[in-house]
Amino acid sequence: MAAMSLLLRAAAAWGARRAASGAVGSARLPGLAGAARLPGTLAPVRHSSDHGKRMFIIKATSFYDTRFLNLLRFYIFLTGIPVALFITYVNIFIGEAELAEIPEGYVPEYWEYYKHPISRWIARYLLDAPEKDYEKEMALLDVEAKKKELRLLELDARRLMRHRGDGPWYHYETPDKNLVDNSMKSTPDN
Amino acid sequence: MPEDKDWEAYKVPPTRTPVSERITSVPNPVTFFQTVFNYVVDTPVTFVREWIERQQAKNKFYYYHQKFRRVPDLSECLEGDYLCFFEAEAQWRRDRLVDTEIVEIIRERLGACKQREGPNEFQNCAKEVELLAQVTKAYQDRYGDLGVHGNARTCLMKQKHRMMEERKAKAEASS
Repeated sequence: MAAMSLLLRAAAAWGARRAASGAVGSARLPGLAGAARLPGTLAPVRHSSDHGKRMFIIKATSFYDTRFLNLLRFYIFLTGIPVALFITYVNIFIGEAELAEIPEGYVPEYWEYYKHPISRWIARYLLDAPEKDYEKEMALLDVEAKKKELRLLELDARRLMRHRGDGPWYHYETPDKNLVDNSMKSTPDN
Repeated sequence: MPEDKDWEAYKVPPTRTPVSERITSVPNPVTFFQTVFNYVVDTPVTFVREWIERQQAKNKFYYYHQKFRRVPDLSECLEGDYLCFFEAEAQWRRDRLVDTEIVEIIRERLGACKQREGPNEFQNCAKEVELLAQVTKAYQDRYGDLGVHGNARTCLMKQKHRMMEERKAKAEASS
């Protein structure tokens, strides 16, 4: 059996040498991976149960791809798994709120209008009340409206003072009348 | 999204499965599959679900639907009162959302009616069809061609034009 395998190996080597010289001679492409059947190789291949004929398969590298996918999975799961566990805990042990009619004389807090407990928590501790947001927006509008009124009044005042000339604006300093030299007009024969 | 709680509107008739007597001695294979399903799927799922509900029943809390106060409409705002404009605009947007949901609910009722009646839908669903046509026409009249930048002011202007057209049509009809 050992001699048998030696014989096979010698035959394969002889066939490879012949194929190499044949390839050099006839310039054939050595790109037949896997099913490379060289003409003249008579070494019978035993399709045994472990690996078959061991081939050196030439393919492009997948190192960078696998490294990228591994890193992607790692960084996604690094925070993804704790977040998923937390959300599962909240959904199972705390559960969503039930819809109820507003009881008589009770004014619900602004976070009690949400169903999911995490939404309620965010509304309660992170966000402002919608009433407060509403009032903030109205305050902004009020300030802008007052600014608009004042600007219109200023434009009106400018227009009227320019037109009538009786206001403090559009009054220009003129030199004193005592500084005017009237000697050119003082005699009629100049 | 809208959950229509008015089950009366759906009018699902009671099932009329007839009670029949056995004529063969071969047992019904359906009962075997029912018991298998019961033991393999139904019991564990129900057990887990009830365990979860027991955990959740320890501290129950509720949520409510917010009721907004009515504020003066855009037609009741003075000119230049930007705060009144803002509140009227917010109220108009809420009303538009409510009207959209109303149309959606009536559409779902028509769909349920068609599903329920099967081949008799053209006769038996006529009321739902009529109701949907009226509601859709009203929605189109009010919010119809305002476009994506439609706000309370454009809607009010559309209403004004509608009233002018009606008045003109009435004047022409009477003259």
